[in-house]
This record gives sequence, structure tokens and C-alpha cells, in this order.
Amino acid sequence: MTQPVAEPKLAVNINEDYCSCCSICGSLCPYDAITRDAEGDKMVLDIEKCQVCGICYSACPAKAIDTIYYDCDSLLKYLVKVKPQYKSDSLVVMCKGSAPDFSEVGKLFGVSDFIPLSIPCVGRLSEEILLQAIATGMKKICILACDEDYCRFDRGSPLTGRRILALNRMLEQLGYGKDAVTLKRNSLKVKVDKDLCIACGDCVFYCPYDAPTLESVEGISFDLDACRGCGLCVSLCPSFALDLENWERERISKLIPQLLAEVKPPKILVFRCQWAVYPPLNGDMSPNIRTIDLPCAGRVDAVHVLEALQNGADGIMVVACSEDDCKQEGVSAKAEHVVARIKEKLDQIGLGERLNFASVSPRYPGQVEEAIGQFRQKIEAIGSKREAK
Amino acid sequence: MIVTVLKPLDEILDSVSPYRKILIAGCDGCTQPPRGIREVETLKQLLELASKLKGKEFEFKLTSVVKQCDSVLTTSALKPYVDDTDAVLSLACGAGPQTVAELFPALPVIPAQNSHFVGIDDREGGTMFDSCSSCGDCVLALTGAVCPITRCAKGLLNGACGGAREGKCELDPERDCAWELIYKRLERLGQLDSLKEFRPPRNYQAKAWKVTP
Repeated sequence: MTQPVAEPKLAVNINEDYCSCCSICGSLCPYDAITRDAEGDKMVLDIEKCQVCGICYSACPAKAIDTIYYDCDSLLKYLVKVKPQYKSDSLVVMCKGSAPDFSEVGKLFGVSDFIPLSIPCVGRLSEEILLQAIATGMKKICILACDEDYCRFDRGSPLTGRRILALNRMLEQLGYGKDAVTLKRNSLKVKVDKDLCIACGDCVFYCPYDAPTLESVEGISFDLDACRGCGLCVSLCPSFALDLENWERERISKLIPQLLAEVKPPKILVFRCQWAVYPPLNGDMSPNIRTIDLPCAGRVDAVHVLEALQNGADGIMVVACSEDDCKQEGVSAKAEHVVARIKEKLDQIGLGERLNFASVSPRYPGQVEEAIGQFRQKIEAIGSKREAK
Repeated sequence: MIVTVLKPLDEILDSVSPYRKILIAGCDGCTQPPRGIREVETLKQLLELASKLKGKEFEFKLTSVVKQCDSVLTTSALKPYVDDTDAVLSLACGAGPQTVAELFPALPVIPAQNSHFVGIDDREGGTMFDSCSSCGDCVLALTGAVCPITRCAKGLLNGACGGAREGKCELDPERDCAWELIYKRLERLGQLDSLKEFRPPRNYQAKAWKVTP
């Protein structure tokens, strides 16, 4: 008798037994990944188009959609588990795409102690999870979404706005006051130091959003409404005149030695696009690997790659979305080019094979682990000892 | 702008190896790609990584000059460092190291770049093209603003050699025939008559070695 072969697990599934074919998921999906089939009797998901935003999951009235990332049950279990640790009954849920560090988030909402929960797009939060959180004793719930036109999943932030409005009305009727759930919006943008600008125009060329303009020797100016915070201009600016809120060059530089001091050889540092990988809520950390999340692979900076090597990293991996999946208009392809350029230099001094670029998607669970695993094996084979070329 | 390419790191390492305290000086001027403080920082890191492997230690100081070919700007930018420096590693085009050498006669200067040409930056294609030979006798007004001296492999002044195939140079099938480009431009401008005018051999004396503007 042959063993039943386990079906490969997908990031999102539609359970036909529960689906009433109402099409809400299809109408909300920003990527037209869910359609009614030809016979009109079931909803079909095209996983290749899916960007795993979770909006369909949060909106399905029949709970017919499953997702393996940050679903209601695991979020609630996580909250119950960490609540004693934080000794707080305030919950702040924030989108990874727009949240500055936790202390800044706290200031935004005027709370000092809170349970932070950082997820890719708050559009995946159903009313149920918020109500359950209240039921488990959360006194204050704050949600930090991206500005509406800054949402990387287009509809996640606007949908959250409508959802919280309706939920608060309902909670008010139940006696929870007018604003039981607080919603705020934020976006992380480029910062310019005009004194350092050399007016080379590189950012004008590389920005996919036409945010910078250079018209005189006065230096560069940015239309911050147009900036989408990918960080590509920051990583390429020849004079360090640009920086990105929450992903400042110095902030990442400080993190590198700290993280590498924690791990044992072979020491691997992963620079990871926050949209390419959805990490588990409290996944076990490998004794060899540490990760720095980036707003987009476009923020991967040659200086940081070199600093990691200087601080004892045996291998450095840059994990990005594929060009088609990039949430920032082709920036991941440019990031690959940036990595190739620095690898070319490292090849000259015999360190090139310690740098690796991989594109992955959260729609294929396990893909990133496999890519990092392969790289780790390669680094183990090379060993920690560096030898002169 | 002046188009440069970083020398192989081995060559740079060999050149700097007799020295210990090295000032890496970038140039924010016309060097393309820009060789500002980021390139300086990156080169420093690469040299440190490479030298560690070879058991050699350097002490690097970093700066970038607004225009390294400007004696005033370069003096003020480098002065704070030079007393405690064994050699300057310049990221500017060939004019930069020579400016530094003039200003600080006792200091060895090492170029980190190979300077190739005065070029056009084709951003989309990610390529830069040789476009001006600084000949001192500009003919662009007569050639539809395409330089035959630079862009024709033979530097011809009176029309195509006849060797071009499908618009490409017979010496390099990837290179556009400059005279075909000139013909198309003049046709577009309605100035084909200018081709009938004979141009005598170039006056090579027009190329100046110094000018006083």
C-alpha cells in the first residue's frame, strides 16, 4: 500500500464545502486572483496571481477561505500567550509597511505600554479578531494603517477604514464608547539633506514614482505625496544625502554588529523584503541566522553588505520579491542589479560567493526556508575561514 | 561628463601597499558615475576586507571634494587631512590626481579610476558613450550635432567611408556609423546641403594645451 502523498500546502485556500459563491472575495481582491468558475458554482483562486494580502480571508462571510499566515486563531493564541509578558491590556496592530519603531508607534497613539502586533497589511484583520481581542480583555485597541494611497495592496487600507467605522458604530451601541478601536494612518518617506546633495540626478532617474525633481543647483526636492518609501534612491545616492524614515542608514548599520554578535558560525545575515517573506509570529530563531527586514529589496545598501562582512558575517543573503510580484514597480529588479554590482567587486577579492540574491514569494510556503537552507549549506562548505585570493 | 571605470581592486591594492595612512578622496563633480562619498566609503570597505585577508593594515580617512579639478576647492577639502596622510587615493578622473599632486607636491597620489572619455549618459540603457574628443575646433554646427571626430572610428570630416553595413561601422558591428547618423539628422533638419561643403583637413593646432578664459 502506498502512503498518501500530502498535497503541497498553499498560502491561501478556498474551502468549497463552506463557500456560498457570494463573490465578495473576488470583488475585493486587488489582483483579480479569485473568479467565479465557468459553471458559476464555485469561486476559484489563481494562486499565481495572489499576493497573499489576506483581504479575501478577512472579508469572507462564510469563513470559507483559509490562510496560513496570521489567521484569526493563531493571532488570538499569540495574543493570549504574550499578554502576560507585556503586562498591558492595550493592543496596537500595525501594518509593517508604515509602522515606525515601536516607541514612535506608542507616541502616535499616546500609549506607553502595549502589545505590539506587526503584520503585512491590516486589511487582513477581520471584525472577528478585533471583537475576540476585546472579549479576551483588551481595553484599548489601536490600528496603524498606511495612508490610503500608500497601501501596497491598494485596497487593504481603505477597506480597514470602512471596517473600523462600522465596527465602532456597533461597539458604541453595545456601550463600548464612541471610539473603541482607534485607527491612525502613517507612511514612511524619504528624508533629504540638501546640504549633502551633489545634484547628480541619480534619484530622479531611479525613482519609479517621479517623486524627485532637480531643476537647479539648489539641489533635489521631493514630492512626498508621490514617494512610496521603497528606499531605492537612498541606497543609490552617491552622497548619502537621502535617508528613509525607519530604515535610516545608521540605524541599520548599528543593527548589523548587534545581530552578528548573537549568532554562531556560519553566521548568516539576511536582508529581507518585508513583502517577500511573512515570518511566523514568534518563530524560533536559528542559532546561525539573523534577519533585517527592509521596506523593499530596493533599500539593500552596498555599504550594509560590506559592513556585514566586516563584522564577521560568513554569508549574506538578499531576499526579494520577483519582478512581477514587486510591490514597488520593478524595484526588486533594480535591487538585483545593485547586488550583482557589489558581488562583482567582492568577486575580485575572493568574497563574491558569500553574497547571494534570491527572489521568493509568501504564496509558496517554505520557499524562503529552502533558499536560505541551500545558501547555508554552500556557506558551510566554504567555511568561515577567509583566504586571500 | 567624464566617464570613469574603477580600476581592478588588485591593482589599487598594489598601488597603495607601500603606504599606511591613506586619504581616499572622492569627487562630486562631473565624474560619471558619481564618485562621491558613497563610492569612497564602499572602496574603503572593500580595501579593508581585501587587506585583512592579506594580513595588511591600512588607516583610511575619507572625504569627497565638490570638484577635484578645482585647486581652491581641493586645497580646502584636503588640507585638514594631508599632514597625517602617507598617500592620497583619488576617485576623480585623471584631472583630480594631477590637481592634488600640484597642490601637495610632497604627497604621493594614486588614481583609483581609469578615465575613458567625455560622454553621454544613456540612463535607460545603463551605458555611457564617448561623444566629445575636446578637439578645440567644434564642427557640430555643420554635422547635425553628431561629432564625426569622436563617433566616426576613422574621424572622417567629409562623409562616410562607404564601409558601413546596415548603419553600423565596418570596424565594430555594434557601433553606429556616425556619418549615417549625421545624414539622417541633416535630412530631418533640411540641411543636407551642408554635406556639399568641402571641409579641409582639421587644424590640429587648434587643440590648446592651456586656455585663459
